[in-house]
Amino acid sequence: MSAKGKTQRGALSLLLIGPFLLAVLVPFLWMVLGVFKTNTEFFQPLAKAFFPAHYDWQNVSDLLNGKWVPFWNVFSNSLIVSLGQALGAVSLSATAGYAFARFTFRGKRLLFVLAVALILVPRQLFAVPLFSWVNALGLSDSLLGVMLPGVVTGLGVIYFTQVFRQVPVEYLQAARTCGATELRVFLTVLPLVWPALLSYGMIHFILAWHEHLIPMLVLTTETKQTLPLALAKLYDVSQRTPQGVQMAASTFAVIPTAVLFAVCHRKFKSSLSDMLVH
Amino acid sequence: MPAADQRTSGARWTPFFFLLPFLFFLLLFWVIPLIGGVQMSLHANSLGQAEYVGFAHYKALANDERYFTALRNSFVYTLASVVVIVPLALWLAHLLRASFRRLRPVLAFALLLPALTPPAVLAVLFLMVFHGKNGLLNQLFVMPLGLEPVNWLKDPDFILSGLVLQTVWRWTGFMTFFILAGMEGIPRVYYEAARLATGSRWRQFWHVTLPQLRPVLLFVAAYLVVDGFSLFSGAFVLLGGSGGTADAGLLTVTYVFQKTRFFDYGSASAISVSLLPLMVLALWGCLFLRRRTA
Repeated sequence: MSAKGKTQRGALSLLLIGPFLLAVLVPFLWMVLGVFKTNTEFFQPLAKAFFPAHYDWQNVSDLLNGKWVPFWNVFSNSLIVSLGQALGAVSLSATAGYAFARFTFRGKRLLFVLAVALILVPRQLFAVPLFSWVNALGLSDSLLGVMLPGVVTGLGVIYFTQVFRQVPVEYLQAARTCGATELRVFLTVLPLVWPALLSYGMIHFILAWHEHLIPMLVLTTETKQTLPLALAKLYDVSQRTPQGVQMAASTFAVIPTAVLFAVCHRKFKSSLSDMLVH
Repeated sequence: MPAADQRTSGARWTPFFFLLPFLFFLLLFWVIPLIGGVQMSLHANSLGQAEYVGFAHYKALANDERYFTALRNSFVYTLASVVVIVPLALWLAHLLRASFRRLRPVLAFALLLPALTPPAVLAVLFLMVFHGKNGLLNQLFVMPLGLEPVNWLKDPDFILSGLVLQTVWRWTGFMTFFILAGMEGIPRVYYEAARLATGSRWRQFWHVTLPQLRPVLLFVAAYLVVDGFSLFSGAFVLLGGSGGTADAGLLTVTYVFQKTRFFDYGSASAISVSLLPLMVLALWGCLFLRRRTA
C-alpha cells in the first residue's frame, strides 16, 4: 500500500476510535477534577461546571490525614495483600504449570480438568463457607486470611502450562545431561520465561487489588481493611463524606494499577502475542 | 496435550514435587470450602452446630421467585456482555492496527484504563453517566433525540441495561488489548499467502485473522462469563446491595450476599451449590471447543 493510503487509513481509524476514547477518558477526567470541587459544584450539570472554580487541595489533605478513613493503613494493607497474593499465585501456578507441561504422570488429565474447573467456579459463590473455614483456621480479621485463599488460580495454571510447553525440550535435556537436579532444571528455565512470570503477576495483582467480597467478610477492624472496603464506606451516603474526598480516594485507588500496567505493558503484550496464537 | 513422554530422567514422584504446593492450597481453600458449602446447604440456617434438614433449602429455592429472577438476570447480563464486548473489541483492535504505529500503545492503554480501576470506583464514575436528569447519557443522547430522560437506576426496564453498559465500558478495552496482542502474533506469511488468493480485506479477515484468533476469543469469552457470574462490587455500589427496583438488577452473587447478611447461610450455600451443574456444563463446552480448535 502507498504511504499516502496508509496515512489516510490511519487517520480514518483514529477518527473512529475517537468516540470510544472520549467515552473512556471523560469520566476519569471528571473524577480527577472532582477532587477540587465543592459539593454544590459537583452536582451541577456537567456542561455548567466541568472544571472547578478553585483548585483547592483541602480534600486531598483531609483524606491523607485520615479524617474519614485511616487511609495510609488501608492503602498499605491493599498493597501487602495484592503483592503477597500475586507472588504466591505466580509461584504456585508456575510450578504446577511446569509439572503439567513437562511430565507425564497418572491422573494428569483429571488434575488439569480440575484446574480448569477452578477458573469456572467464581470464588465469590463460596465466600460463606470459605469465610467460616478461614475463621476455623484462626485467620479471621487478618491480612493472611484474605491473601492465602487468593493464591490458587486456575487461570494461572493454564497460562503457565501453555508457557512451559513452548520452552524447547533440548534446553531441558541439556541441563539434565549436565547432571542438574530436577529443581535445578526448573530454576534454569525460569529466566527464559520471566516476561510471562511478570505478566501473570501483574494480572493477578490487579485482580487482588479489586477484590471486594472476601475482604469484606474476613476483615472487621477498620485499620486492617483494604481499599475497596474503605471506598465503599466513603461512598456510603449516610457517612456524608464530601464528594471531593471521595474522588481523591478513587483517584488514589486507580494510580497503582495504572502505573504497574504502564510499566509492564510492553512485556505483557509480547508475551501474550507469543502465546495466544500458537 | 502432547502424548509423547518428554520426561527423560527423574523419579516418578518428581511431577508431584512441583504440584504439591498448588495441590495443598487447592485442597485448603477450594475443595474444603466447596465441601463446606454442600454441607452448609443441607443444614439449618446458622454456623456451627446446626440441625440437618436434608434438601429443604433446595426445595425452598424451587419456589423462590427471587432466586429465578437472580439467575435469569445473571444469565442475561453475562450473555449480553459477551455478545456486545467480543465483536466491539475485535473491531477496535482492527482499528488500532490500522492506526498509526507510534500511537498504538498509548491508545490501547487509554482504552483499557477502566479495567485497571476497582469496580467500586467504576460504579461511582458510572453514577455520573446514569445520574438522573443531569447524567451524561440523558444529556448527550436521550434528550437531544427528543425523548423523555430515562431514570437509569430506578426504572426497572433499564437497570439491567445499565449494568451491562457498565461491563461493556469496563472490559472492552482490556479485551481489545488481548485481541490486539493475538493479531500481532499472527505470522505475516499467512497474510501474504491470503493476498495472493484474494484482494478483499474482509475475506482476509474472515479466513486468516478470525480462525487464528479463535483461542484468544475463546479465552476472552470464558473470562467474561466467569466475571459475569461473579460480579459483585459494581452492582453492590451502584444499587447499594439491593436488587434495585422490582429486583430488576438482582444478580446471583448479590442474592447470595443478601442471604448472608441475614445469616441465612444454609440457603445462601444452596444457591451456590445449585449453580455448580451450570458451571460444569460451561466447562464441558469450553473443553469441547478447545478440542475442536486443536
